[in-house]
Amino acid sequence: MRAELKARFKSHRLFAGEPAADAPVILTHRRIFILPTLRGLSFVVVLILLWLIAFVYNNNLAYLLTFLLGSVFFITILHTVKSLSGLSVQKGRVHPVFAGEAAGFMLHLNNLSNYERPQLSVTLDSTEMLSLPAAGKAMLSLYSSTHKRGWHHAGKITIASCYPLGLFRAWSPIRFDFKVLVYPKPAMQESPFPDTSPMAASYGINHKGSADFYGLQTYQPGDSIKHIHWKAFAKGLGVYSKHYGDGSATELWLDFQQTQGASVEQRLSQLCRWVLDAERANLRYGLVLPGLSLAPDNGAAHSIQCLEALALF
Amino acid sequence: MKPHPRSLVFLLFSLGLIVFPHVNHIPVSIFAYFYLLLGWRWFGLWQPAYLPNKSLLLLLTLIGMALLYREYQGLFGRDAGTRLFVLALGLKLMEINRERDLYLISFLAFIVAASQFLYEQNLLMGAYILLVCGLLLATLIGLNSQDPKPIGALKTASLLLAQALPMAIVLFVLFPRLEAPHWMLLQDKQQTKTGLSEQMEPGSITDLGQSDELVFRVNFAGAMPPPAQRYWRGPVLSQTDGKRWTQAKNKDFGQFMAQPEFKGQRYQYTLLMEPRAKNWVFALDLPAEFSGALRRNSHYQLISSDNLDKRTEYQISSYPAYNTGFITRTEYDNATQLPGEPSAKIKQLVNQLQGVNHPPEFMIEQLLTYFRTEDFHYTLTPPLMEDKPIETFLFVTRYGFCSHYAAAFVYLMRVAHIPARVVTGYQGGEVNPVGNFLEVRQADAHAWAEVWLTNKGWVRVDPTAAIAPERIEKNVNLDALEMGREIRFSALTEQNSAVYHWLKQANQLWHLVDYQWQRWVINYNTVNQLKFLSSLGIANLQAMLSWLVGIIGVLTAILAGLLLHQKNRAINQTLRSYQQFCQKLAKQGVVRADHEGAKDFAERAITQLPEHATAIAQITERFIALRYSRQGFIREDLQQLQYWVRKLKL
Repeated sequence: MRAELKARFKSHRLFAGEPAADAPVILTHRRIFILPTLRGLSFVVVLILLWLIAFVYNNNLAYLLTFLLGSVFFITILHTVKSLSGLSVQKGRVHPVFAGEAAGFMLHLNNLSNYERPQLSVTLDSTEMLSLPAAGKAMLSLYSSTHKRGWHHAGKITIASCYPLGLFRAWSPIRFDFKVLVYPKPAMQESPFPDTSPMAASYGINHKGSADFYGLQTYQPGDSIKHIHWKAFAKGLGVYSKHYGDGSATELWLDFQQTQGASVEQRLSQLCRWVLDAERANLRYGLVLPGLSLAPDNGAAHSIQCLEALALF
Repeated sequence: MKPHPRSLVFLLFSLGLIVFPHVNHIPVSIFAYFYLLLGWRWFGLWQPAYLPNKSLLLLLTLIGMALLYREYQGLFGRDAGTRLFVLALGLKLMEINRERDLYLISFLAFIVAASQFLYEQNLLMGAYILLVCGLLLATLIGLNSQDPKPIGALKTASLLLAQALPMAIVLFVLFPRLEAPHWMLLQDKQQTKTGLSEQMEPGSITDLGQSDELVFRVNFAGAMPPPAQRYWRGPVLSQTDGKRWTQAKNKDFGQFMAQPEFKGQRYQYTLLMEPRAKNWVFALDLPAEFSGALRRNSHYQLISSDNLDKRTEYQISSYPAYNTGFITRTEYDNATQLPGEPSAKIKQLVNQLQGVNHPPEFMIEQLLTYFRTEDFHYTLTPPLMEDKPIETFLFVTRYGFCSHYAAAFVYLMRVAHIPARVVTGYQGGEVNPVGNFLEVRQADAHAWAEVWLTNKGWVRVDPTAAIAPERIEKNVNLDALEMGREIRFSALTEQNSAVYHWLKQANQLWHLVDYQWQRWVINYNTVNQLKFLSSLGIANLQAMLSWLVGIIGVLTAILAGLLLHQKNRAINQTLRSYQQFCQKLAKQGVVRADHEGAKDFAERAITQLPEHATAIAQITERFIALRYSRQGFIREDLQQLQYWVRKLKL
C-alpha cells in the first residue's frame, strides 16, 4: 500500500512531467507549475508588516498600498505563467560520446508569441539562461555527463522562469524520448593490436597507428578527409590525399577473447581503443564479440557500426 | 549572481525619491546621514574601491545608532519606527553583495514608503508613492531580466500596477476593517491631532472644513435644540494684531463677574468627547450645570481635567437664552482692543453704518444688512489675503468663510466702540437617526461673534448666517453637499482677468477632488464600511468575504484570459498577410502549390508577372525574415509587410 502510494506520488506529473514524447512540446497551463520563491515568501512577510502598520494606525492609504502590493503579488502569478505559456520546445540532434564525456542535447526553443521572454532558465544537469525575443527562436545545447556506455537518456529537462518580479517561479518539466548512445570509454594505455595472423601481428605491432607513407595522389572521391594534405591545399597546390601502406593487405580481427582485463567493461574499453586506432591507421578491421561478428572493413560508417556494437553489448 | 549595475542605479534613484518627503518628519541629522550614505553608494558605482570595508561599516552603524540615541523618541511608535527604517535602509545600501540584498532593500523601501502615509494622506502624496512604488517594481523587474532596459521595465511595472489597481480597490472596499485594540496604539510623544487651534487666522479653519473626523457626540435627555441654536462653544478669541486672533491671557476672573441668568428651555445632555488634543469641552451655548471634572472659565468655555487620549463622557445642561449681566473691566479692555489706528476707509464705512446717536443694535443690523446686500460670497477657498486681511476682504475680494466674516464683524464693531469678540467652536451637527444623537465633526468647525450689549450681556451674532443662501458657494457641512447642493462657480464681478477666473475654478475643482478623496478614501473606516456595504446589501462578514472572493475570482479570470490567450498572434498576423498575398497572385493565375516554398513560389511568380518583380521579392523576403529569422519578431517588419501586401495591385 505504502509503496504503491509512493510510486504514484513519484509518477505524479508535478515531479515527473508529462510522459516522454517526440513531438515539439508547447507549454500550456497543464504543463506549467508555479510556486512562490523564497523571495516571494519574504514579500508576504513584508505585506503582513504593512498590513499591521495600516491596522495599528488605522491608516487607509497604508491599507491601499498593502492591498495594491498584495494584488501585484497575486497578478505576478499570471505574468510568470505567461512567461512560459505558449513556448514551443523541440528536441534537436545528439551526437554519440564516449563514456565520461558530457553528452550534448540540442534543444530548439520557439517563442510563438509576440512578446519577449526575458529570462528563461533551462536545466538539465546544469542551468542555462537565455532570453527569447518576441516570436524569436533559440537553439541551445544542454550537457549531461555520462558514466556508463549504452543509451543515455536526457531525462527531465526543466524550463523555468521567475520573470517579472522574482517572487514566483514557474517551471515545466519536459520529458522527450531523448537519448544518446554512449560508447565505452577508450582504454587509456595503448596496447598492441591482437595477434590474429603472423603477418598482421607483426604489422600491427610494428606499425600500430602509423602505416608507411607511400606518397601523395590527387584526391579521389571516397578518400578519407583525414588524409587530405592540408598543407599543400593551403599553399594552393590543389587537393591531394596522403596514401599510406595500404591496409587492404592486412585484415585485423579485434576479438573480445583476446583482450585482457578484469571485467567486461575493461575489455570493451580495450576494444574501443583498438577500433579507434585501427580506424586512424586506415586498417581494415573486423570485430568479434561473443555472439556477434562484424566483417573487416574500413571507414567512418564501419567504425560507427563497431562502436555501436560495443556500446550496446 | 552579481546584480546588473543598471538596476542599482534604478534602485538608488527610487530610494532617493522615497525618503525625500520625510524631510519634515525625521531629524535633519538622520535625513542628512541617509543621503550621505546614498551619495556614497552612488559614487561607489563608479569607484567601488571607495566603498566601506567591514570595520568602516561597523563605524557607520555605530554613528547611526548614536544619531538615533541623540534624537531618542522611544522604541516604538511612528516617529521612532520611521527613523529606524530610514537608517537601516541607508546602512544596508553600503553592503550590497548579492541579489538578495537588493530584494531586502526594496522590501525595506516599501515599508518606508508606507510610513509616509502616517504623516500625510493627501492625494498628491498618494500619487507620489504610487509612482515611486512603480520605480521599485521596475527595479525588481530589472533584476529578473538578463539585459535590463529601463523603459521596458517601467512599462511592465506600470502595467502590473494598472492591472493590480482594480483588485486593490475591491480589497480596499471589501476587506474587513477592524479597529485596532487600544493597547496596540503606539502613541508618539508629540503626536499632533487635528482640531480647533488656540488662534485663528482667516483661512486656518479650512483644513478642518475638509475633515470628516468625529469630535464629539451629544445625546439629549429630552428635546433637541433647533439647528439654529446648535452652537458648541470653544475658545474665545479677543486679542488681535490685525491678522491673527488669539485668546486673552487672563481667562479666570470669575470672582469679578456677574452670575449669568438663564431663561427658557433647559437642555440636558450627555456629551461624549473623542480623543483630542486640547482639554476643551464644547458645550451648547451657554452651559449652566456640568459634571465635576469640568470647570467653566471666564469666557464661559468648559475645561476638562481628564485624560485626553480616551473618550470621555460629560453630563451638561445648557440654556440657549441667557443674560450674562455686566461687563468686567478686563473683558471690556480685551473686547475693545484694536491693533492700531483703523484706516480712513474703515472709519468711513463704520460712520456710514453707525449713523448718528443710534444704539449698538442698529449698527449690528446695518452691518449684517451690508454683508447681505453687498456682493459678499461664502466660499471655502477664498483668495489669499496676506496683507491687511480684513480690509482686503471687506473692500477687494469679498470671498471668505466664517472666520473672515467673524473677524471683519468684530473688528468693525470695535472701531465703532462696541465691545465684541470672536468665539470659535462648532455649529450644527448631524442627527444620527438610529441612535437619536448628534454627531459633530471637524467639518462643523465654526467661528462667530459675540457683542456685549447693555442689559443683555454678551449676545451671539453670527455674521456668516447673514450671507444669503444662494451666495454660498460650497457648504462647509459635508451633509449639505451629500444632499446634492449645487456647487457654483459664480463669476467674479471685480476686474479680474480670465486667467484668474480659470485658476480659481481649477482651484475649486481641486478642492472638490481633494474633498472627495478625504471623504471616500481617507475616512473609510469600520463604521463607514459597514454603512456603505449594508447599503449595497452586504450585511455580514460572511457576505463580505464571499463577495470579496467572488469579485477577485472574476477579475483574475478576466486578466488570465487577457494575458494568456494572446499566444500566436504575431505569427497568425504574418501568415494571414502572406495568405492575402497568395490569394492576390492566385487571381492572376499564379497558384502556390502545397509543397512549394516561399522562395520557389516567388521565383515562379516573378517569371510570370515580371512587372511586379520588386514587390513580390520584397514581400517574400520580409515574410521569410519574419517567419524564420532568429532575430525574432519585429513589429515594424510586420506593419511593412501588411502595407506592401495591401498596396500590391495586380
